[in-house]
Amino acid sequence: MLSCSLFVNFRFCLEEISSQNQVKASVQRRIRQSIQDEYPGLETVLEDLLPKKSPLIVVKCPNHLTLVVVNNVPLFFCIRDGPYMPTLRLLHQYPNIMKRFQVDRGAIKFVLSGANIMCPGLTSPGGVLDEEVDAERPVAIYAEGKQHALAIGFTKMSAKDIKSINKGIGVDNMHYLNDGLWKVCSLLYSFEMQSGLIGSQ
Amino acid sequence: MAEKLEPAKVLYCGVCSLPAEYCEFGPDFGRCKPWLLENAPDLYPDLLKEANEKAVDNVSDKLQSVGISSGGADGAPSSAQAGGTSKKEEVKRLPGGKLKKKDRQEVIIEKVVRNKRKCITIVKGLELFGIKLSDASKKLGKKFATGASVVKGPTEKEQIDVQGDIIYDIVEFITDTWPDVPERSIFFIEDGKKVQAA
Repeated sequence: MLSCSLFVNFRFCLEEISSQNQVKASVQRRIRQSIQDEYPGLETVLEDLLPKKSPLIVVKCPNHLTLVVVNNVPLFFCIRDGPYMPTLRLLHQYPNIMKRFQVDRGAIKFVLSGANIMCPGLTSPGGVLDEEVDAERPVAIYAEGKQHALAIGFTKMSAKDIKSINKGIGVDNMHYLNDGLWKVCSLLYSFEMQSGLIGSQ
Repeated sequence: MAEKLEPAKVLYCGVCSLPAEYCEFGPDFGRCKPWLLENAPDLYPDLLKEANEKAVDNVSDKLQSVGISSGGADGAPSSAQAGGTSKKEEVKRLPGGKLKKKDRQEVIIEKVVRNKRKCITIVKGLELFGIKLSDASKKLGKKFATGASVVKGPTEKEQIDVQGDIIYDIVEFITDTWPDVPERSIFFIEDGKKVQAA
């Protein structure tokens, strides 16, 4: 069983966009570079995800949240000056780009309501830790018995510390299934599906 | 260059939008169940069993009712009726929750300060009342003698930007020009809060 303290996550919705700009080519290059550095596994598909030619839009939202949007699809987000993290939709498509943590089954409920991930949930028999992860890195959170990621987190301590201290918050929950960002993504996704269906007929 | 990664296909629930395997932790597992049965029966074996039992019950019920009414002719309308009620339920469910929020007709007016003493007024949602945005922007521009344009955000729907602060006259203007728009469905956004105009 995992004990959780509720953390106020960013609430996000379309109405809260404070600015959205198409960024300069140089900024686009910089974003691209930092994404590439962060996720080397993405290198081969980066050209498809962030085509050099197509405009890249940076959407700024309250709480220092920034979204990287291409073709109306939010692909990455970052908080303050933190690393860019893929949205869960993107992570589901390319599951191997991030380091994985796994929580036990009892934790799923709490993580999906936005709780941070506490150490015991990662160290219990149902949990799996990637030992190489340092503190303050983005990680994908998987769940016991499930195939897909359920959240994206930001480690508060290194995997070794999580194991040895085994107390308190191990990973901050940044983005989880059915949070505001996920809802926006799935809304856009369903639009796309509809228009795609119409187009193919 | 290394081998190209193929995007994995993930099955998302058509009801709650989560990946199908997370439906049981979703906001409304009960509503997802029919969808899951149809699209991902192997994920939840328990569900299938449950449904089969139910189906068996239904069939036996039907058999009984047919036996009582003693005739194939009576059996048909009763089943048709059952279909009708289930359809009605579906319709009833649809406006609930998220969908209802999206479909609500309202005009939202927002003032955005651009340059210390210059600002623009943004009008959203007029299209929900069947008003042509290009016409509307022309009328607004003419009335207030300012620039007014239809702007399309990359992620958002179309809206009208009007130069200048016209927030106090615009309600009257909208209700006068388009009687379809009731005054109580016009909202201002003040300090990030929605405030009714009336």
